[in-house]
Amino acid sequence: MNTSLYVGLSRQETLQRALDIAANNIANADTAGFKVEQPLVRTEPTALPGTGLDSRPIAFVLDQGVGRDFREGALENTGGAYDVAIGGDGFFQVQAGAGLRYTRDGRFTVDAQNRLVTKAGDPVLGDNGRPIVLDPNRPAPAIAKDGTISQAGVNLGRIGVFRFADLSTLQKAGANLYSVPDDSQAIAAPDATTLQGVVEKSNVQPVLEITNLIEITRAYERVARMMDQTSDLASRAVNSLGRVN
Amino acid sequence: MRALRIAATGMAAQQLNVEVISNNIANMNTVGFKKQRAEFQDLLYQNVERAGVQSSTGGTVVPTGVQIGSGVKAGSVYRITEQGALTQTGNKLDLAIDGKGFFQVLLPTGETAYTRAGNFSVSENGQIVTSEGYVVQPAMTIPQGATDVTISPDGQVQATIAGQTAPANVGQLQTAIFYNEGGLEAVGENLLLESTASGPPIVGAPADNGFGKLKQGYTESSNVDAVSEVTALIVAQRAYEMNSKVVTAADQMLSTASQLKS
Repeated sequence: MNTSLYVGLSRQETLQRALDIAANNIANADTAGFKVEQPLVRTEPTALPGTGLDSRPIAFVLDQGVGRDFREGALENTGGAYDVAIGGDGFFQVQAGAGLRYTRDGRFTVDAQNRLVTKAGDPVLGDNGRPIVLDPNRPAPAIAKDGTISQAGVNLGRIGVFRFADLSTLQKAGANLYSVPDDSQAIAAPDATTLQGVVEKSNVQPVLEITNLIEITRAYERVARMMDQTSDLASRAVNSLGRVN
Repeated sequence: MRALRIAATGMAAQQLNVEVISNNIANMNTVGFKKQRAEFQDLLYQNVERAGVQSSTGGTVVPTGVQIGSGVKAGSVYRITEQGALTQTGNKLDLAIDGKGFFQVLLPTGETAYTRAGNFSVSENGQIVTSEGYVVQPAMTIPQGATDVTISPDGQVQATIAGQTAPANVGQLQTAIFYNEGGLEAVGENLLLESTASGPPIVGAPADNGFGKLKQGYTESSNVDAVSEVTALIVAQRAYEMNSKVVTAADQMLSTASQLKS
């Protein structure tokens, strides 16, 4: 059995996945609050049974997981009264249909019931866990650095910001939302800063992603060449070694 | 190869972005026009390997799991309803709303439409109409022989008639506000319609609590800012190019795979 072909195949599979992830990063380069991802691979050393003479372990490449870079994206000043960004760590809490969700995308709006909602229409929750209701007869709200939202001096509550001790428990749920297996892991962050009139862009760095793309394609080609050479070797062994004059 | 499809979603999203930006630029000089923004969201993620599953019998646990996204979609194209600059025109029937509110207009279909474009005129029978000839609500007739029309900030319309000292009251203009202005449905001709997202209109007199004041002799310019539109255009174009690079990379990898010797 020619294991080097399978080792090559294991690398090619992870490279295809790496390309999928890079493609998703690039497609979301303009998505507010998007966090860039990269594949994590590990080697899986396997001792090959019954190879007495040369019993060096063989190392396959396996997917380990997806690493997320939670660094802050660029802040864009939009001046919109309902655009909010979190300075530093933290997530907004959103009441989605399927349960509580977390997001860094602070492009909010108001719905027909006058609640502060995300663009998808899910209510943004205050630090008391309830939606924030605005008064349509008052001017646009002012949001203070500590998340206090007020209209013409009337306090309407505070926008809740939450942190997680372990960010790796967060799962992306699509629509710029994250979910956690257990909502009690969300710790209120009363010291977080909220910035009104600012939107956090994605933290995708175009140059890095394009270099990544080149690296992935070249690595794929190298592995393919290695596999070609292996199969050449096998065919030569069959054709030359087996010849008896 | 998901990458090809993911890049296609990215290109489609940026194409929509360019369309929205070009509509903004095209309407830069449209009275009462509100600029729009395309807003993007990431698509669903596929769990290839779930976080928290056991990776061996020894009880080690996959810390993050492999989640692969499937690209991007346009979540919504929303209107930015911030106030446009007020331009003085000197025309007696040009009205701008300084603050919240929309003029109400009766469409030929019997529906009421809402607009910020206050470049009105008088029809042949003395009614205040939009440039398309739709009657501004509540309808009022300016008497024949009126030499001057005054509209106060709170919507009182008065006409000065030749030979009379006191101006005659013609009517009271009313404006409408909405819970969610961004949810109004645009139908062209600077008109917007009520939708379930916007909520029902609240009709009241201008300059009331929550309602903007009227300014006679002014129109509201569009709130499109040329510089920010052009910057957005550049960003969109570069993003489109990057997505096309992904297509090239995926194509190259597929061709490498197909050229493997068997």
